[in-house]
Amino acid sequence: MIATRTTTVALVGNPNTGKTTLFNALSGLRQRVGNYPGVTVETKKGRMTWKDQGFDLIDLPGTYSLAPRSPDEMVAVDLILGHQAGEPRPDVLVSIVDAANLERNLYLTTQALEMGIPVVVALNMIDVAQAQGILVDADKLGKQLGVTVVPIQANKRRGLDELKQAVAACAGRAAPNGAVAPAFPDAFEQEVSALQKSLGEEVEPFVARRLLLDVGGYIETKLEAKHPDLKQRVEDARQRLQQAGAGVPGVEARVRYGWIRQNTAGCIQRPAQRVVTWTDRIDRVLTHRVFGTIIFLALMLLVFWSIFKWATPAMDLINEAKDALGGWINDALPAGPLTSLLADGVVKGVGGVVVFLPQILILFGFIAVLEDCGYMARAAFLMDRLMARCGLSGKSFIPMLSSMACAIPGIMAARVIENQRDRFTTILVAPLMSCSARLPVYLLLIAAFLPASVYGEWTPVLTMFAMYLIGLIVAPLIALLLKRTLLRGETPVFVMEMPLYKRPSLRTVLRRMFDAGWAFVYRAGTLILASMIVVWALLYFPNTDANGVKYDDRIAALNEPHEEARKELKALKVSIAKESEELEKLNTAAQHAGEAGLPAADEARREELEAAVKPVEEKMEPLQARLKPIDEAINKIKGEWKANSLLGQLGHIIEPVVAPLGWDWRIGTAALASFPAREVIVGTLGIIYDLGEEAEESDLATALQEAKWESGPKAGQPVFSIPVALSIMVFFALCAQCASTLAVIKRETRSWGWAAFTFGYMTALAYIGALLVYQIGSRIV
Amino acid sequence: MNLADIPMLPLELLQAGEAADVAEVHGEPAWIGRMAELGLRPGSRVQVLQPGSPCMLQVNGTRLCLRGEQAMQILVRPVPVAAPAMRLAVEPCR
Repeated sequence: MIATRTTTVALVGNPNTGKTTLFNALSGLRQRVGNYPGVTVETKKGRMTWKDQGFDLIDLPGTYSLAPRSPDEMVAVDLILGHQAGEPRPDVLVSIVDAANLERNLYLTTQALEMGIPVVVALNMIDVAQAQGILVDADKLGKQLGVTVVPIQANKRRGLDELKQAVAACAGRAAPNGAVAPAFPDAFEQEVSALQKSLGEEVEPFVARRLLLDVGGYIETKLEAKHPDLKQRVEDARQRLQQAGAGVPGVEARVRYGWIRQNTAGCIQRPAQRVVTWTDRIDRVLTHRVFGTIIFLALMLLVFWSIFKWATPAMDLINEAKDALGGWINDALPAGPLTSLLADGVVKGVGGVVVFLPQILILFGFIAVLEDCGYMARAAFLMDRLMARCGLSGKSFIPMLSSMACAIPGIMAARVIENQRDRFTTILVAPLMSCSARLPVYLLLIAAFLPASVYGEWTPVLTMFAMYLIGLIVAPLIALLLKRTLLRGETPVFVMEMPLYKRPSLRTVLRRMFDAGWAFVYRAGTLILASMIVVWALLYFPNTDANGVKYDDRIAALNEPHEEARKELKALKVSIAKESEELEKLNTAAQHAGEAGLPAADEARREELEAAVKPVEEKMEPLQARLKPIDEAINKIKGEWKANSLLGQLGHIIEPVVAPLGWDWRIGTAALASFPAREVIVGTLGIIYDLGEEAEESDLATALQEAKWESGPKAGQPVFSIPVALSIMVFFALCAQCASTLAVIKRETRSWGWAAFTFGYMTALAYIGALLVYQIGSRIV
Repeated sequence: MNLADIPMLPLELLQAGEAADVAEVHGEPAWIGRMAELGLRPGSRVQVLQPGSPCMLQVNGTRLCLRGEQAMQILVRPVPVAAPAMRLAVEPCR
């Protein structure tokens, strides 16, 4: 039989029942994500076939009940009722239940039975139940419940054909009649039908029932707009029910669990005493206040170590590829706006995004493994006491911690927090944590102004630590403030289910990594690319000087007589590249070895290399001497170009604004240019201080030390001092200089408003912080 | 002894390993409903796995964690369980 239209099947179930595993097993690799306006939850969609018949599958967000308390929870209800625009009403509901915890899981099933759609119960994890001595008679259960019950093992892909067959048999059949669902007391049913009549035809019995049952629920809030007197009517009805002995919310649990007890009678065999499982044993250690915390901290250390350790080679590779591609474009195409746009705008812009991909993949790999094996809930349990102090729950800990590597995966990890206010608070403060992109800024300024050689070995370390501490202190304070003001609301009920431990599935882990990586590259990538192009344009135009001569032409004119020398130098450099690298390594080793010296074999190799490298280096020297003034002149032109560019002009305009921070226009410009991505500042400072972008960090540090004010009351004085360096560092520690992060905030909160708010509050905080540091600092020093 | 004679006490006061039957769940209606969805309602048997705030409980086939302020809202009647701590330690795993 061929259906005239595709049958839609929706999956509903409690969290941790293997619903997503079942969905993946049924739908294979081809999946789409469904987004809905105004909510942050997603549904997954896929297709399955059974005997030439196609089915559309929808995986609804995991939930314990269909009693919506928020717009997010309303999505599942709207979808099942066919109220979600653009989505067909499902023809069959598959209610997936955990055999080891049947009664509680059937609670949701009883609500599904009231939806007016045929229901098939997928009895999952029968193996886990069996291991605990729990046996369920599926056939008998099906007869007593009045629906088809199919035993399955989603992770082992067992029972899937039987499930598909049951779904196909149900499709197109009429909804189960009222006798199947639990019967509420007559008094209650009368109130429901009275309420439904008064609200009009478009309100289903299910909605009217929820309206009565859910005190302060989302349906009440939603319908109130249309029916202003509704609240009073519902209140009165609840009063009458209370007197009739069927008061809410008690009546629902009583009726549903009563029905469940009655209809599961004789279907479940349990051991007299609960079997001790591996989960019990592992939990005794992992959730222990002391041992559990130590293990957790060690695990987190391992995760971060791996993020830095494993991601570095991949990141270097991406950086090298980016530079090589940029260099190739510069060589292959004539100088001009297009080449500059491609090399500096597009390649650097995209490269700057992709370079974070390894960190994101590794972090999400870990998160997926920890979540899939059941550990994540334990970590949240352990950290709850700490997080409660700033008005959040343990679930916010992992996102905040992840943000110390990079705020983007951190913000994405906040999806596990189901309370919306908590999730938003976490998302809004996560970018305050010191991420790895701030590191180059700290390193540069500390090397230039607080070097160990002058201030002692501990000064750089302590300064760095202080910078990280800023985020660790400010983020919880802002979180507390947000929870008391903008995101105020009832303290969410902190209740969390601890899933059983299980072996993580490779498929799930890879899927999570892929999804996270793709979401990042695709969505944040498009935005950062656009903003990099804008910054590039602002730094490139106008591309002619006051006399109308193109800067490119001036640079080319300077360069032309020395092309040959440059090529020669490059060839010489390449010819000894391998040797110089090895020599450098051995020299470093020799330094570390100190007086003991290198082993004889190494020392011999070192001398051999030195002998090979030396004559070539001697040949390079005159060439380098000849090119040095040329390079300096070119960098000067580039500096002039940047100063006259639109962004440079803007820098001059904002100088009065940044002057109280101790900054000159150049720092202001560099800070402005680094709003799309903060690590840009190192390169921008290099350009602005006439060093060229490829400047070595130590050269740049020297240039910064020597920089002088060009004009104004402080003309001639050094720009940088310790308070200025600190004020820049504090500014960078607190500022939202990352377009990708803002794009991800927009994506996760579904609103540009929150992204703009984050940008605004962080920039204000950064300015105030930098101002305080400079004003107080310059009075002390 | 009659069941009603056993004094009720807040869930928070149970020690590690102690078991009890839930007698009353107090507080906001929404929270009572939420607890019922999770299987914690009058009549359920709970056992404390980790005391304190948050605490971890075994409720039928599930383990839940709750904060102290919520555990105070749940009144229970303790039931004797044969040395549960010992049982966990010596019984073989299945």
